[in-house]
Amino acid sequence: MQSGIIKQLEDIAGKEFVLTAKEDLTTYAYDGTTTWSHSPDVVVLPNSTEQISRILKLAHTHKIPVTPRGSGTNISGGSVPVRGGIVLCTTRMNRILDINKANLTATVEPGVVLQDFNIRLAKENLFYPPDPQSFLSCTLGGTVAENSGGPLCIKYGVTKHYVLGLEVVLPDGYVLNIGGSTVKNRTGYDLLPLFTGSEGTLGVITKITLRLIPKPAARKTIMAIFDDITLAGAVVSDILANGIVPAKVEFVDNFVIRRIEEKMKLGLPVEANTMLLIDVDGSIAAIENEAEQILELLNAGGAQIARLAKDENEANMYWKARSAGFAAVYSAARTVIAEDVTVPRDRLADFMKKLDQISKESGFEIVLIGHAGDGNIHPSVFTNSREKEDLDRLHDTLKAIFEAALELGGTLSGEHGIGLEKQHLLAKALDPRAIEIMKGIKAILDPDNLMNPDKIWERE
Amino acid sequence: MKNDLLQELKRFEDDADQCMKCGFCSFVCPIYQEERIESSVARGKNELIKAVLAGELEFNSELTDRLYKCVACGACTESCPTQAHIPRLIVAARADIARTEGIKFPYGFIYRHLLPNRGLFGNLLKVSSFIQSTFMPKSNGAIRHLPNFMSGLSHGRQIPSIAHKFLRRQVPVVNKPAQGIKPELRIGYFPGCMNEYVTPHLGIRTIEFLTRRKVEVVMPSVQGCCGAPVFLGGGDFETGRKLADTNVAAFEKFDYVIADCATCSCAFKEYPRFLADTPERKEAYTHFAGKIRHISQFITDVLEIPASSYQTVAAVKGKKLTWHDPCHLNRHLGITQQPRKILQSIDEAQYVEMPDAGRCCGMAGQFNLLYYDLSQKIAEKKIDSIDSTDADIVVTSCPGCEFQLLDNLTRLDRPQKVMSLMEVLE
Repeated sequence: MQSGIIKQLEDIAGKEFVLTAKEDLTTYAYDGTTTWSHSPDVVVLPNSTEQISRILKLAHTHKIPVTPRGSGTNISGGSVPVRGGIVLCTTRMNRILDINKANLTATVEPGVVLQDFNIRLAKENLFYPPDPQSFLSCTLGGTVAENSGGPLCIKYGVTKHYVLGLEVVLPDGYVLNIGGSTVKNRTGYDLLPLFTGSEGTLGVITKITLRLIPKPAARKTIMAIFDDITLAGAVVSDILANGIVPAKVEFVDNFVIRRIEEKMKLGLPVEANTMLLIDVDGSIAAIENEAEQILELLNAGGAQIARLAKDENEANMYWKARSAGFAAVYSAARTVIAEDVTVPRDRLADFMKKLDQISKESGFEIVLIGHAGDGNIHPSVFTNSREKEDLDRLHDTLKAIFEAALELGGTLSGEHGIGLEKQHLLAKALDPRAIEIMKGIKAILDPDNLMNPDKIWERE
Repeated sequence: MKNDLLQELKRFEDDADQCMKCGFCSFVCPIYQEERIESSVARGKNELIKAVLAGELEFNSELTDRLYKCVACGACTESCPTQAHIPRLIVAARADIARTEGIKFPYGFIYRHLLPNRGLFGNLLKVSSFIQSTFMPKSNGAIRHLPNFMSGLSHGRQIPSIAHKFLRRQVPVVNKPAQGIKPELRIGYFPGCMNEYVTPHLGIRTIEFLTRRKVEVVMPSVQGCCGAPVFLGGGDFETGRKLADTNVAAFEKFDYVIADCATCSCAFKEYPRFLADTPERKEAYTHFAGKIRHISQFITDVLEIPASSYQTVAAVKGKKLTWHDPCHLNRHLGITQQPRKILQSIDEAQYVEMPDAGRCCGMAGQFNLLYYDLSQKIAEKKIDSIDSTDADIVVTSCPGCEFQLLDNLTRLDRPQKVMSLMEVLE
């Protein structure tokens, strides 16, 4: 990159916040994925909308690609600067600008870390439900750009259900304001959900107004063990059919149950096939009733064990065990690829059987963790091999998993996004005309294709 | 880079592979929380190390700077879903850097010549002690500027003064319980640099505390520096081994080796992991590490002193105490309950837990010298925690933490006192 450009970036953001050493660029070459990596030419850490606008104007004038990024915890390759250029990192813009208890809204800068936001809201007895499991590190700007969700989405929805207003700097440097701070807003095409989930390809999100809800008064956790995943899936459908919407319904398979038992010694049957963890939340009276009904349904549905956590400690222990199990999957092998497919809830059991078959055919162990409540599963495939042949076979296996999900009416990605990771499959998942419309929108906002280029679609 | 230049990193390569890049470390990393740039945090540092191992990056001043900018508090590992131990990789990287690139003066001089040589170190400190007591005004109680050769390193900060008479000039090698009382245990005592040179009266307190409880306390005269600043901080494994061999030999005859410094205790426990380059050393270091007890551990777990028998000094009576966990004690050695048990047992003082008691104070040995401004910012968060408890006295058990807390409380004009655990007990 020309030294003149670097100088101008330094004038805008301050010398200290423009990084050009190879040792810094290396640390902005990756995201949370295993394989994608490419160094930028320069990293800028601006501190205001105005600075971002000036940076984008500069990039626009000189036709320099810009990859916006928060903490880089996404798992799609989406924040990897595949064409070099500028990485525009928002982590310094981490101010919570306003919390309005009367209007139940908050306005934040994009670099606020989700957990910092949660801690602050808890003090006000407020609640922001979208809970991507990277909550300790992900930035709110990133969660909006990725339209993130997590376990709570079965009851509370995903990020797009909470975005009321956005300030976005467009690729030419224009500062655009859309939406507002009202729940109802019917004025023309709704552009909010266009930028939400746009994976940084349409502009840089610089200010976010979010809808909040009051913190539920109470929560209860139920743990159940099944020896057949099909039974577990059927009970989840029963629960929903009975008019109960739990806050979370998570499941883990035998591999994870074993790891949990090794580490935490909870007395779980280690031969068990599936563990379900169910949370209900709301008023105390309501959740007692719901918890009772769920226990009945679990027992009637063939659970080996169905247990209501007696207190907060026991509940936390189960959820901690689930996280520990999740970690165990990641540390089980040198290369672990956790996929993110979603099938309609009633096809979950069929999908599991299909995955079992794929595992047998490929010879790779596939561990299943997922959100049973919404059909979103993270089949994790792993290998210790560093041989190219094995890694190629691994990718074929992943492809087989996607294809199986699509056949069952599912989607390519539940919550991780397309980024680089899944663009080769996009055409299989979408109507060709839909892709054409998306590309048209991109061309209107970013005619020079500078804003996070080469993402979502394969480079033509 | 040739692989033989990376011999230590190669040994810890599996730790590098454990990271799944979730970034959870960023939430707890004291440095990332200040700087918010990727090379501050374990994930970024690990990626740099992986690039070195892959031959994409070489050791140079830029890389060294990023690998030294770590307090090694271990919070990243604690928060990590896979328990990836990036601080260990950083120590290994420092070792490879030290071996292949050399260590920057004056640190190299201190590691290689001063710390291994107690006589020389002692004499130099004595000169500064003389200058200090003769020419400098006594201010802030025991705190004065230290106008010695180290002041170039110390940025004129507030640090405790050097003692007129070092510990081993004040006590014999063998300290027996009072006449007529048969010792029930015989232990080796490692006072560390702080009690040896700066606070010998505290070393005496530890010795007296133990001898009054029927423990014979032996302080072998040949013991050297624990090696923490040398091999953990500076990556000088060669000198580290010399120190380790000296200490292992000095304490060969004891079943228990007691240290009242968190860092020394931790360094001893790390000998086998980092310094054992031969099967003989592996065996000797492992055996030695098994004998190490931090004083709080020894008091509560080995002596099992009943809560009722703790007494405290006048300065503590009626006061509110809080405990600051040294990183080397809590995360590195898993010692959190023992010191609290002791403090909570003191009837004449009130114990109050501070929020984030286990968060690093920002000292981290030479980190404080290399990145003083950053170190102060990290300390300010600790001071906020202390303030929130309304405590009169912060108790800890690490001279490094004590320096840092003292320096920053003084700088920020706070009234709280800092005391070492053994300073509180009578």
